[in-house]
Amino acid sequence: MSSSRRGLFRSAAQAAARAAIPDAVPGEPTASPDTLSPDELERYSRQLVLEQWGEAEQLRLRDASVLIVGAGALGSPVAAYLAGAGVGRIGIVDGDDVELSNLHRQHLHHTSEIGVSKAHGAAAKLQLLNPEVMVEPYQVRLDAGNAEGLVLGHDLIVDCSDTFATRYAVNAACCQTGAWLVEGGVVGVTGMVMSIRPGSSACYRCAFEAEPADAPTCAEAGVLGPAAGVVGSLQALEAMKLLAGVPGALLDAFLQVELLTGSFLRVATRRRDDCPDCGD
Amino acid sequence: MAATLDITGLTCPMTWVRTKLTLEKLAAGEELVVLCPEGEALDNVPRSAREAGHEVDVEGAVVRIVRR
Repeated sequence: MSSSRRGLFRSAAQAAARAAIPDAVPGEPTASPDTLSPDELERYSRQLVLEQWGEAEQLRLRDASVLIVGAGALGSPVAAYLAGAGVGRIGIVDGDDVELSNLHRQHLHHTSEIGVSKAHGAAAKLQLLNPEVMVEPYQVRLDAGNAEGLVLGHDLIVDCSDTFATRYAVNAACCQTGAWLVEGGVVGVTGMVMSIRPGSSACYRCAFEAEPADAPTCAEAGVLGPAAGVVGSLQALEAMKLLAGVPGALLDAFLQVELLTGSFLRVATRRRDDCPDCGD
Repeated sequence: MAATLDITGLTCPMTWVRTKLTLEKLAAGEELVVLCPEGEALDNVPRSAREAGHEVDVEGAVVRIVRR
């Protein structure tokens, strides 16, 4: 495909995302009964059996709508765990196509899909994993211009992007709309995870006022696949805790993980009154 | 009248999943009578119920659980 045609498709996709219409519209949602079906009981039995989890928690997950920003190294485990766990509606945003150099860490994508849209490829796999949930792909790069339109209508956003600009755009959009947010990042073998309830807990900009001047992206710095897997898994767990109302989420705190030595550090943080994103 | 639950056609862990979810719908102090299959479930269901803090009484394959 010529680059101008590709550009044309990209602008069309961006326009679609601005109108917050997913690229593939799933079937009409059916009314959700207030109990789980026998198949759902079986599918989710290993979480329902837990002391901290029950039918009420499972139904809250089923009634939730989550947007995952980025279908890459963090987005792969996040999307797979949330779809598997039974989050009722999952949007997945990514404007990139699968590349050979992605595959060591982005396990939702396969070698046969090089050149295929990550959002669409991921959505297809998630639907195979759990046909009970609704998956909506958005083939577009999230930026400051379309962030709010994409975030609107979702209860919680999981930010699996790989640039600080995107992270701040997602944070600002969540502060504007009130959507809950799980932030995450990984470079090399080091990462962080933070949960945010805008207006009641510290936002990403409260904790990290400005992007570091010399921050490497993972494309420049490299990353070990399992390190991204750990951080993405922690993000999925945070999302499940927040959605189900299970206590212990990383609110007013972020977790710093250093995976060469295996150290996890929970760092307390707090809201700033003068925060340009969430300040009063 | 106590609620009853027949889990004789199920195997572990669905035996406890169904028991636990039924208990979640009861108020504290209400009783659930569980018809349990012989074998593993008859060990596991009463044990899980006790670990969750409920009062448990076993007579043959009938497990009576009073929700805490």
